[in-house]
Amino acid sequence: MTTGSTIRSATLFAATMVLLAATAVPTAQLAAQEVVRVVVTPATITLEVGEKATVSATAYDADGNVVEVPFMYFSRDGRGRLAVDRFTGEVEAFKGGEFEVIARALGPTRVSGTMTATVAFPPIHRVEISEAGGRYYTGVTMRHKATVFDEAGDERDVPVSWSTSDASVATVDRFGVFTAHRPGEVMLEAVAEGAVGRITYLVADNPVAAMAVEASQARGRTGDVIHFTPTASDAAGSAVDDIPITFSLISDPDEIATADIPPAEVDRMGRFVAYKPGVYTVTASVPGQTAHATVEILPRHVVEEVQFVGHAPVRNVSTSDLWVWEGVDGRDYAITGTHSGYGSTYWWDVTDPANPVLTDSLIVDARTTNDVKVSEDGTICVISREGASSRRNGIVIVDCRDPRNIEVISTYDDELTGGVHNLFIHDDHVYAVNNGIRFDVINIEDPANPHRVGRFELDTPGHAIHDIWIVDGIAYTSNWGDGVAVIDVGGGDRGGSPENPVEIARFRDIGGATHAAFPYRSPTGRFYIFMGDEIGAPAFDGQEDGRTPEFMAGYIHVVDFTDPENPEEVARYEIPEAGSHNMWIEDDRLYAAFYQGGLRVLDISGQLKGNLYHQGREIAVYKAYDPDGVVANAPFTWGPQMHKGNLFFAEYFSGMWAVKLLPRRVLIP
Amino acid sequence: MGRPSSHCVARGFDIRPSSHCVAPALASLAAAACLALLAMAASHDRAAAQSYWVYAAAESEDEVALLRYDAGGDLVVEKTITTGWLRAEIEAPHGLAMDPAGEYWYLTLGHGFPNGRLVKYATGADTVAGVADLGLFPATIAVPPHGAVALTVNANFHGDHVPSTVTIVDLETMFPIADVVTCTMPHGSRFNADGTRHYSACMMDNQLVEIDGATLDVTRRLDLIANRPATAPMEGHMAMAPPGGENCSPTWTTPHPDGRRVFVPCNKGDVILEVDLEQWRVTRRIEAPGAPYNLDLTPDGTKLLATLKGSAKLGIWDVETGELLHMIDSLMRVTHGVIVTPDGRYAIVTVEGIGGDPGTVEVIEIDSGTRVASAQIGKQAGGIALWKMEG
Repeated sequence: MTTGSTIRSATLFAATMVLLAATAVPTAQLAAQEVVRVVVTPATITLEVGEKATVSATAYDADGNVVEVPFMYFSRDGRGRLAVDRFTGEVEAFKGGEFEVIARALGPTRVSGTMTATVAFPPIHRVEISEAGGRYYTGVTMRHKATVFDEAGDERDVPVSWSTSDASVATVDRFGVFTAHRPGEVMLEAVAEGAVGRITYLVADNPVAAMAVEASQARGRTGDVIHFTPTASDAAGSAVDDIPITFSLISDPDEIATADIPPAEVDRMGRFVAYKPGVYTVTASVPGQTAHATVEILPRHVVEEVQFVGHAPVRNVSTSDLWVWEGVDGRDYAITGTHSGYGSTYWWDVTDPANPVLTDSLIVDARTTNDVKVSEDGTICVISREGASSRRNGIVIVDCRDPRNIEVISTYDDELTGGVHNLFIHDDHVYAVNNGIRFDVINIEDPANPHRVGRFELDTPGHAIHDIWIVDGIAYTSNWGDGVAVIDVGGGDRGGSPENPVEIARFRDIGGATHAAFPYRSPTGRFYIFMGDEIGAPAFDGQEDGRTPEFMAGYIHVVDFTDPENPEEVARYEIPEAGSHNMWIEDDRLYAAFYQGGLRVLDISGQLKGNLYHQGREIAVYKAYDPDGVVANAPFTWGPQMHKGNLFFAEYFSGMWAVKLLPRRVLIP
Repeated sequence: MGRPSSHCVARGFDIRPSSHCVAPALASLAAAACLALLAMAASHDRAAAQSYWVYAAAESEDEVALLRYDAGGDLVVEKTITTGWLRAEIEAPHGLAMDPAGEYWYLTLGHGFPNGRLVKYATGADTVAGVADLGLFPATIAVPPHGAVALTVNANFHGDHVPSTVTIVDLETMFPIADVVTCTMPHGSRFNADGTRHYSACMMDNQLVEIDGATLDVTRRLDLIANRPATAPMEGHMAMAPPGGENCSPTWTTPHPDGRRVFVPCNKGDVILEVDLEQWRVTRRIEAPGAPYNLDLTPDGTKLLATLKGSAKLGIWDVETGELLHMIDSLMRVTHGVIVTPDGRYAIVTVEGIGGDPGTVEVIEIDSGTRVASAQIGKQAGGIALWKMEG
């Protein structure tokens, strides 16, 4: 067998003869003209920022003859730093560094040559110190950081040497840790390759004569955020507000395990949270003065039991999103979409959630009807479409006043051809995430004549959007690497409207994989946005659908958005074995779908800090096993919704389920 | 696996030396010689039993199937390769292309964050060998005979009528070297036989765009409606055909192996255009009712094949006379891709299906116009590339 061969040798020989006769090129020359080597000259070059030069490549055959072929020039590591003209080989230096320039011969063989362009780093231009200077007190120690920039504006990683102008007043170590010893004026300098950053401190005697610290509560539970408020005062009893105070922690957890997580933490703001029950002492310190406060931490005891209520099985196709609502007839209904199937959507009567009844279904031209939403008045259902055979996708608007007899009112796909993956209905408008880059606002006041009235798109390079959620006229969009964007679509104070969405704030979390976001105004007065990652394990490992349960990664980031100008990522909910998907929050409880990690219910009462997973906040975990599912016995929880005390959730491999949370029963011997 | 010794692998005419190395006249002679070579090969191979190996993408399943057809036997799915980063999102594998040496195959993933990707797989092992970032919804891939680069059209199906790009990717490093602006919703991406010219068409502004194979920059454009050269992509609503006017919405380009013409299907015009490359104008219109979509030619250039997406058929025409030779019904709806085997004996066609229909791959015997085998793969079968022919 001739692997990969298409022409037998005899045929090839005969044909080659024809070829040779036609072209009159000797065989030896044919063979010799194959490029085997490319030389780029000069082999090295040194440039200054702003300078240009041209490199040139020459191709050679096996006999050392020059072969005329076109070249393509580029540099993989030069992006944004060294521009390379792919046609001419001209290089232009923008920032310092050493870059490989590749010349690829566009000939019958994939041969390339390389050269090295070294761009001299420009002189260091400035050094910025993290603090501004000002008043300082004897005995106080605080770390300073230096950031170094060169003349091209490039942040540089170069050694920094620290010094003070008067070592008797203050000293600094090589890490920028600065300690004042006696009163006086002192300059702190950070020097990098001759450039100097300076700040000046006026060091005064430490006035603190007394120190106190008070805990916001003497007793708490794991996960409670306890504030330790220090007070430093001088001899006259007046408060000293501008002296840095440090906090430290003495932990005495009830149970000690090796290699366990830290039992508690306290940050530089005096915010304390415990992961383990026990007794904890927080020390607030200024030079020469300390104060302690001790708190007792008890178990959180929030675990509840999960009672199976009902199952609306969908076993021939994967289930996507769900929405549960009270219909115009007072009965309760649910709608479920499907994924990678045949464009089906299902309506259920869930008035008796123990016995969900399929009332109607709809098949549209699509493979995936990922998102399904219902208008606030329960009359209009909207379905997203992906994989339409016409490739026009868009949305389908359905009259669902009678879920036993739903009727398609209209479709809308103008400039929604890339596929709508998620949507939200708010105040007679559909906010449709147009796969990829933006959301469009479709007016459905007359659902038979939907029309676009607005759209919104971030302005960052390569921006993307995945989901949208709207509460009280504020939209929360999930934008992968751009995090969450908060947008006024009529309920904010920025003059926004469906026709003119106006961005209020944006926050990129640590992970940069924001897939879903859910806002929650806590009874504490804090306003949180829960930002869920979606991070996959690439399917390049040969997983077999139908045999191998899926797996996903990522977690939920909790961002305190109480001050929208200064959002702070304060907590996370990260479980080790699975990744997050859709969420629902109600009455201080987070209901979270975690794919293979099942359905999770989390107590989010009070202020939030740290990894909530380790704080005893998990109320319940439920994994829906269906031996007849698309993949048997493979929980892959897609999205939850609480409705009238029943927790409904979509399972990717088995349809919609309903469970109920019950207080934990205590056995009395 | 090493480089095959024969010169006609995958879809390229790997003539050595290329026309970069010889005078243009010599290149024409070389092309003519290659036609002769292929005709001989086809004739000779008809007597032999052959196996044909193809990769076919299932866009709504995030899968690629590797299929084998033994002449006269069954079409068999040898392997199904899952692809993508997120199993919970459809990433839409769309275009497929083979490395001319047969060592790798290339796949575009349409949906990304938001940009799509080009994935390089080692043939046979079907393991990932590299990934490159592309633009919005990349579709068709073209790899010239030298195999050094890929030109992928960023179709940007997301709806904005703005000029898009062809991304040039260095296939050794999988580095996207440049984005060349062509026109709005580019689709179809093919090099001519010797790799000196690349052609793509734009569905929204009805242009055929030529890129020089050496400089990899746009050399000329043709307005397929006005049938005159264009100077720039059209933007916004200018990129749409006037209401009631003639429309084309070209979806493919197939250069003829004689190097003198390119065929372009008008998906909304029910016609296949023949563009004379010397005159740079449409010189012939071949009626093709049923929304022609993808094209291919027999290696000897005598027969033109088109999937007719709207009527779920494959049409086969005589190139010289324009006569319709066969019109073959597909088993499912929405025919998509078509390739002709290097011996000119079979057409292998992908059929998307609708909704929950499985994707279908069908083998059509070209001379008789009959379907001789078929197999089902994942939903929305689209991109297809021939890996090898054995026997």
